Amino acid sequence: MEANKFIVPIGPQHPALKEPGHFEFTVDGEVVTNATIRLGYVHRGVERGTEDRTWVQNLYLIERICGICSHIHATAYALGVEKLAGVTAPPRAQAIRELFCELERIHSHLLWVGVAAHEAGFDALFMYSWRDRETVMDLLEGLSGNRVHYSCNLLGGVKFDIDEAQRDAILRGLDFLEQRTHHYLDVVTNDAAFLRRTRGVGMMTREQAIEYGAVGPVARASGVARDVRVDAPYLAYDQFPVNTIIDTAGDLEARFAVRVRELFESYRVIREILDKLPPGELAAKMPRKMPPGEAISRVEAPRGELFYFIKSNGGDKPERVKVRTPSICNFGSVGRLTIGHQLADAPMILAGIDPCFSCNDRVVVVSTK
Amino acid sequence: MTKDATDLLQAAESILAPWAKETMRPEPARADVVIAPQDVVPAATALHAAGWGFLTAITGLDLGVEAGKLEALYHFCEGPAVVTLRVTLPRDNPVIDSVCGVIPAASFFERELSEMFGVTVAGTPNSDKLFLPEDWPDGVYPLRKDFNPAQLR
Repeated sequence: MEANKFIVPIGPQHPALKEPGHFEFTVDGEVVTNATIRLGYVHRGVERGTEDRTWVQNLYLIERICGICSHIHATAYALGVEKLAGVTAPPRAQAIRELFCELERIHSHLLWVGVAAHEAGFDALFMYSWRDRETVMDLLEGLSGNRVHYSCNLLGGVKFDIDEAQRDAILRGLDFLEQRTHHYLDVVTNDAAFLRRTRGVGMMTREQAIEYGAVGPVARASGVARDVRVDAPYLAYDQFPVNTIIDTAGDLEARFAVRVRELFESYRVIREILDKLPPGELAAKMPRKMPPGEAISRVEAPRGELFYFIKSNGGDKPERVKVRTPSICNFGSVGRLTIGHQLADAPMILAGIDPCFSCNDRVVVVSTK
Repeated sequence: MTKDATDLLQAAESILAPWAKETMRPEPARADVVIAPQDVVPAATALHAAGWGFLTAITGLDLGVEAGKLEALYHFCEGPAVVTLRVTLPRDNPVIDSVCGVIPAASFFERELSEMFGVTVAGTPNSDKLFLPEDWPDGVYPLRKDFNPAQLR
């Protein structure tokens, strides 16, 4: 290390979001010339833990990998285990799972709008978006009894049905949120002060997004049409499809616009599900032991592709559960994208990928010059 | 519209044919291609050069003390299709070449494989700890089947 280099350490306590991560930015004046990221502060050994628990117990462990996208983890796991067992959940259960997935995406994206606005110093937007997010949290609580860990999945189906009163509450909630989302789209694409923090900041070209292995809204904001819901439909996504939202600008503004526009897709598809919810059973019978074999399940979490590899040796516990979260794919870009920017832009660029530390806790060190 | 998984898998299998020792189709949209450890870089390079998918994950597997083997699975996804390069390594001295030269994003996957399973990834740009604390003892690999938490006390 040269004597005249300045390194600014940030974290591990709450570098930007309210989760732990440690960053070392090498600066020349105010300009970042190198970035090192050190994670791992909330690693809990979940993958190993699955090997000591039964297939059913793991459903509850796995839902707790993440406190934001809990349902999508449990869904990916359930889909994989159902593949091993050769069981398909009934159509009504698949549609209800999809509905939960999209409600979860709404709460996750609204959470993110608030966090990112806070990083930009725009606390009014932060407070409004989190106030509005309570609407979807209340809907989830009304459906499942819980705001975060809905625990809607069973192996083989779901626990909760949706009655008329819940259906009406969801539709009312969506009408309110849709109207608010138009306002947010207007703010993030037109507010002059806000755009000074986002337009042209953290540029990632399509080629870079592919090279860094970016997934989810981060990739889609750089013109990479990657969305598991569309590419490899699971649950009821072939019956109730979503459209891929793409932007080609590749900057922070595009990442805002893509996520906000995805909300409209979620509102639309939830209404469609409620309108044409297939009748029938909520769950299929599952064996206690799974036949030997390996299954891969891929789902689109709010942050991008979530990948599960599950191996059974024929027993009542998994031989191996491998989880690859979307944040690890996107973290690689943060260090590179901050280089050349003002240090003050670094939290915004980090927030721009909507990182989820608990999901994915790992360490990434980026070296450039 | 999405491309047909069968066509995509056939394309990948023909790209990988020079190195394939065995090919399986465990699910309709999946192909597992068994290759030798020394072929992982040329095989990954060929998929990358053909623009077939992206490296989604590397899964490590411990087949147990008795079998004396580890497996490393390199999963590539393109649309609905998943191609997995399967490599078997000896448990007592597992070494594999890094694919970071062609796929820089593989860096953290390789580091995870290395610290969790004790696989030496030759030429990986950074071999520091990824998940585990700095004071984690050397030679203890938590995702190996014979790992015992008592080793940490």
